[in-house]
Amino acid sequence: MPAVQETIDQVRQIDVDQYKYGFETTIEMDKAPKGLSEDIIRLISSKKNEPEWMLEWRLQAYSRWQTMEEPSWARVRYPKIDFNDLHYYAAPKSTSGPKSLDEVDPELLRVYEKLGIPLKEQEILAGVEKSRIAVDAVFDSVSVVTTFKEELKKAGVIFMSISEAMREHPDLVRKYLGTVVPQSDNFYATLNSAVFTDGSFVYVPKGVRCPMELSTYFRINEKNTGQFERTLIIADEGAYVSYLEGCTAPQRDENQLHAAVVELIALDDAEIKYSTVQNWYPGDKQGKGGIYNFVTKRGDCRGKNSKISWTQVETGSAITWKYPSCILRGDGSRGEFYSIAVSNGHQQIDSGTKMIHLGKNTSSRIISKGIAAGVSENTYRGQVSAHRKAENARNFTQCDSLLIGDRCGAHTVPYIEAKNSTAQFEHEATTSKISEDQLFYCLQRGIPEEAAIALIVNGFVKEVIQELPMEFAVEAQKLIGISLEGSVG
Amino acid sequence: MNMQQAIKMTAAETALVDAYTAQIGDLPGDGAVLSLRDTLVHELKTSGLPTRRVEAWHYTDLRTLLRAVPAADPTAFAERVDPLVPGSSVLSVRNGQADIKNVPEQLTVRSYTESLLDGSAAAGLSVLGADDAIGRINGGLVRGGLEIAVAAGVEIEAPVEIQVVQSHGQAHTRFPVSFGAGAKATVIERHLSTNAEQSFVSSVSDVTLAEGADVIWIILQQQGPADTHLGQIRFDLGKDAKLHLFVINAGGKLVRQELHGRATGEGADLTLRGINLLGGESHTDLTFTLSHDVPHTTSSEIIRNVVFDRAKGVFQGKILVAQDAQKTDAKMSCNTLLLSDDADFSAKPELEIFADDVQCGHGATVIDIDHTQLFYLLARGIPENKARAMLVNAFVAEIVEELEDDEDLVESLESVISAWLEKHA
Repeated sequence: MPAVQETIDQVRQIDVDQYKYGFETTIEMDKAPKGLSEDIIRLISSKKNEPEWMLEWRLQAYSRWQTMEEPSWARVRYPKIDFNDLHYYAAPKSTSGPKSLDEVDPELLRVYEKLGIPLKEQEILAGVEKSRIAVDAVFDSVSVVTTFKEELKKAGVIFMSISEAMREHPDLVRKYLGTVVPQSDNFYATLNSAVFTDGSFVYVPKGVRCPMELSTYFRINEKNTGQFERTLIIADEGAYVSYLEGCTAPQRDENQLHAAVVELIALDDAEIKYSTVQNWYPGDKQGKGGIYNFVTKRGDCRGKNSKISWTQVETGSAITWKYPSCILRGDGSRGEFYSIAVSNGHQQIDSGTKMIHLGKNTSSRIISKGIAAGVSENTYRGQVSAHRKAENARNFTQCDSLLIGDRCGAHTVPYIEAKNSTAQFEHEATTSKISEDQLFYCLQRGIPEEAAIALIVNGFVKEVIQELPMEFAVEAQKLIGISLEGSVG
Repeated sequence: MNMQQAIKMTAAETALVDAYTAQIGDLPGDGAVLSLRDTLVHELKTSGLPTRRVEAWHYTDLRTLLRAVPAADPTAFAERVDPLVPGSSVLSVRNGQADIKNVPEQLTVRSYTESLLDGSAAAGLSVLGADDAIGRINGGLVRGGLEIAVAAGVEIEAPVEIQVVQSHGQAHTRFPVSFGAGAKATVIERHLSTNAEQSFVSSVSDVTLAEGADVIWIILQQQGPADTHLGQIRFDLGKDAKLHLFVINAGGKLVRQELHGRATGEGADLTLRGINLLGGESHTDLTFTLSHDVPHTTSSEIIRNVVFDRAKGVFQGKILVAQDAQKTDAKMSCNTLLLSDDADFSAKPELEIFADDVQCGHGATVIDIDHTQLFYLLARGIPENKARAMLVNAFVAEIVEELEDDEDLVESLESVISAWLEKHA
């Protein structure tokens, strides 16, 4: 069924030329020379006062990366990236590392103000109706400020930039870094391991429920730079944390590379909720410029009955290559993936998830909604696998997509692999099948068919949006208030 | 051209290339056919058999799985067997040799060897793409087969059985079959072996349906437990053509059955039903692609898999909807009963859609026997093994019953399924 006018209008509102965060800020920057070499890696490491083992780890990754080939299996097309034509390090001159808010360059603060990111604790405290969020603000290659650190410390929660964590909690970082996404995992993750500049580190100790939402806000500002951040979140036994991630970049004609690695570790009975609203600059109407978003995100449900949940709203980036995954290792662990991916203009999205069932009685749920408009390509690529010992593994997958216009493409590529006879996998990509009962229920009560479909689908999208923490849900709803009435695979 | 790095050939690759070299001068074909064969075998030599790195072969790493290829034996002899459905007309190819005696009047049949010799086969001998390993092996080595034509308006009552019988060794066969406008027929393409000796069979059927043709095409693969079967059917559906394609895999050690089709005429309709009965140490792969090229075409696919023992099963299904193909309606589902912890099954149901006003969907499940159903039967005093067998049988037999118009056919297929299940359950 074709898209209704309402949907078309809403998608137009978030079309690529409506990008609101495209402004550029002139800030004096300290940049590494262009290119990638051992010397550059040494420079990054020394700029960050890293321990010796970290430098070795980086160099090891670099030598590995040189032997690797760029992956070509994804359904995205782009000119070859010259990895030597990038700055691998760019930091505002005035801040050599995260300091107290008073010392941060006011120009930088204005950037975040413009983006609507609250960095001033008192302001946030003053707002009665707003709940509090601790923010780690990453500007190009460095974290400029982390808020609410003291208050979190009282609860025992460690929330700081990863470079700071490497100095202050080297044992924790060393114990967990690279254990979910190994150094040589894939081309971009390996590159990230060699050159990552900053990112957030979270450790929630045993039995602690993190008292507020944690959030990192990424901003690419400098020209010709790549942003390589690394996030590591550990929820110890029985802990809970909800983490949000947001990102924007200026409007530029050339493409910029963003290759991040996110590692989540949930121990026994712990729960991590990770939400992203990805709004990198998508390029202009002609497909010029925009961010290449090549990201490796993976969660490891290491402990018994642990839970990791990914929620993403993808609207930005020229190219997205991203598969937030869950390794369900602990018995009774649970993985969830909720995604809404909107592509417009010349955007290309190849995104999905992996649910790897290793432990007994593990379960996972995948809900993915793709919306393609303009001349964009939107691919869902997902893998669900149950290993020999994964008794009673359960998965439910639903991925629907909607095409608006006849010059875009929507594709679904699921991989379903079962090696245990007690595994129960259900994968479906039709809306009609799941909503027939509901539709009948509505029709029974005199609601006309079209209204009934809109009602059901809206309710469903809300369900995905509800997975987002409140603060992000508002933003996400602004980005997509779309009804998904006629869905195809 | 890409310079391929020289690879170390596996025993099977060497055997295939050697089989070609040994037959040079003996393989039928005119100049064009022979030079095409040369190219295909050269490609096989330089790029080798596909590995899991080739996306279309992701779950069937032919290079690793195909350990050996038995040599061709020109003296091999195989008996003609009774048709599956009594009263069918039988056209047979035994150990690669076409037998065109007793051809029913309504068919025009000639030996494919003749088409190779006079060059008329050249056009159809090319591969479907770089990943078409079956087309490459078959095109390089094919010696015989049948070229069949059903004239426009002809309706054939009794099923036509194309019987491909192999005793041992290797055989490569091809079946270009065309149905004229409004033609109606049921064809059973049946692959079987007469003993447990190892054989290697590649077979390509090239089926075209003209406007309004209505065809039931059944592929019944019952090779021996040591056999390798590489099958491919290519089909093209014209305006308002209707193809009911039915695939049953119930044999073989290493099996890849590919189904590649295009709906090129408005109103074309494909119904695909597949049953994979997998047991022992076998590896069976059913790979399907359908391209909806024009508006108003429909397709429906249901695949049912039953996996016992240490068997491995694969289903790859891909539906493509071209930009012009508005109002396409395509539904694909793949259901698997995994009955052993040592068995595994992988499914990859893909959709590639470029038109916005379409209805496409796919569903895939991997499940165990429904415990409530089992309980229902147990509560009625049916012993567990019998109850399980009943449920497994019902799971696959359900789709055979769709062929209700032809009772004999349904009965014959059901007995093949029951016999297989009795042997394996």
